[in-house]
Amino acid sequence: MNLLRWLVFAVAALAMNFPVLSTLVTSFKSEAEIASNPSLWIQSPTLANYLDVFRISDRFDILHYLWNSFASSILGAGLSLLLAFPAAYALVRFGTGRKWLLPLVANLRAIPLIVFAIPLYLVYARVGLLDTRLGLALILCIVNLPLVLVLLVAALRDLPVELDEAARVDGASTLTLLWRIILPLAGPALATTMVLGFVYAWNEFLFALMLTTRNAVTTTVGASFFFAASGGGVRWGIAAAVMVLSVLPPMVLGLLLYRRIGQSLASGAVKG
Amino acid sequence: MQSRHLRDGRILLAPLTIFLLAMLGLPLVVDLIYSVSRVEFRTILSPEFVGLANYVSALTSESYWQAAWFSLRFGLACAVAQLLLGLFLAIFLAPLIDKRPWLLAFLMLPMMVAPALVGLMYRLILHEFVGVVPWFMFTYFGDSPSFLGPDNAFRTLVVVEVLQWTPFALLILYSAYAAIPKDVREAASIDGAGPWQRLWRIDLPLMAPVLGATFFIRFIDSFRVFDNVYTLTGAGAGGATTTMSIWVYEAFFKSGDIGRAVAASMLLLVAAWAVLAIVHRLSERRA
Repeated sequence: MNLLRWLVFAVAALAMNFPVLSTLVTSFKSEAEIASNPSLWIQSPTLANYLDVFRISDRFDILHYLWNSFASSILGAGLSLLLAFPAAYALVRFGTGRKWLLPLVANLRAIPLIVFAIPLYLVYARVGLLDTRLGLALILCIVNLPLVLVLLVAALRDLPVELDEAARVDGASTLTLLWRIILPLAGPALATTMVLGFVYAWNEFLFALMLTTRNAVTTTVGASFFFAASGGGVRWGIAAAVMVLSVLPPMVLGLLLYRRIGQSLASGAVKG
Repeated sequence: MQSRHLRDGRILLAPLTIFLLAMLGLPLVVDLIYSVSRVEFRTILSPEFVGLANYVSALTSESYWQAAWFSLRFGLACAVAQLLLGLFLAIFLAPLIDKRPWLLAFLMLPMMVAPALVGLMYRLILHEFVGVVPWFMFTYFGDSPSFLGPDNAFRTLVVVEVLQWTPFALLILYSAYAAIPKDVREAASIDGAGPWQRLWRIDLPLMAPVLGATFFIRFIDSFRVFDNVYTLTGAGAGGATTTMSIWVYEAFFKSGDIGRAVAASMLLLVAAWAVLAIVHRLSERRA
């Protein structure tokens, strides 16, 4: 019975991770081998594709895409935490906005994002935020807010209220209390939330596709450029290497922090 | 004290509220105005009121209903498959995962990959000359179906979506399953309940609310899908794989008919709101 369980686990893990595994294998094959040998076996492994990725950076600059993804994701996730942390405290301790703000933001998760994409595109075009990392980060913040707020509310709810009361007796203002007492206590929860927000932002595609064209193109959109066959068809080896580089940061974070991420996702999903 | 709390609460909520008003409230107003206007990129600041013409235009368009039907079928098929597969894996693998939690890391990993990139990866994997799956089919079965052709595209996309997001269902359902107290199950065993009876009478009823929530989340996410469908098939397969989100996107960028695209997205918003209201009503009745 246990053997059967291991078998099921192996099949499930392989099938679900198959796209990444297969792409990883392809990225170590030469262009010639990719054409002659599509199997999962590599006859003569090579790093040529990874070197070529950087060699064609005058046309497709992968480092630039990765930097854009990194900067806008950090900014977007950080901003969502900055906005949601004080709000979560007010929701939990004072009950302000519990009737409307929390359901509004939590339900945002169920709204198709395309609804806001068109007007934001038009507004962005007028105020000069189109194709900027800042403009993208502001949207990534919105994308992250439902999960971030729900997670932070759950985390703050678990903190004992006695700490607040003790600090109040000592005459601390709300801001001091928030900064000196709650922030350090909620540190681990904030860190996990930040990582999740970063991963979500990194993986976002729709807004990056609509709102960036050149300067702020992220890696999810940039990777698709390598598939636009321009003379001589798609160079599959390079495309595979680009995708491996693009999925590496969130996958490494996921492997390192799987336990915390798993708990957060499970609880955040059910409460949201 | 109470009034100070109220004041402090409002101050703490202010940044988030202002941000939401700017980033969601303003777009919504723009949506509302443009959905009842004739407007193009050149006349963006002088929309001309046309009443409900845009809504009528969207609702009488055949491709709109095709997209709606596709998204609905896609959402339901994916949600059902993910729920069943996730439930099976969660319960069947629970004894392994209980002892070795790190196994979860490998089952969670697909969720860390951008869906847009997953779509691109399958473009490589399913490619008829360099893809590993067609190669496998040709080598061992002598023939390979056209996975992204009009006949198979729907099934292929469902498999792609299900393989990536079953981990989500698995994760939630595993935590719900693990949270059922051991003594409840032991008591049932002592009363002579077999494994199947325990599953039907104890585990599944206790997990029912979570099962419902999981189904709803997976349905919504698959219904509003854009990324992987767009990167894998574009609106290819003869437009057979146009989802609602892709329809609105193309109405805006390809045909430049802003009013119609916005009207369609408002209809989408109303639909999402209606689903939310129904779910809310259902969960309240249960509580």
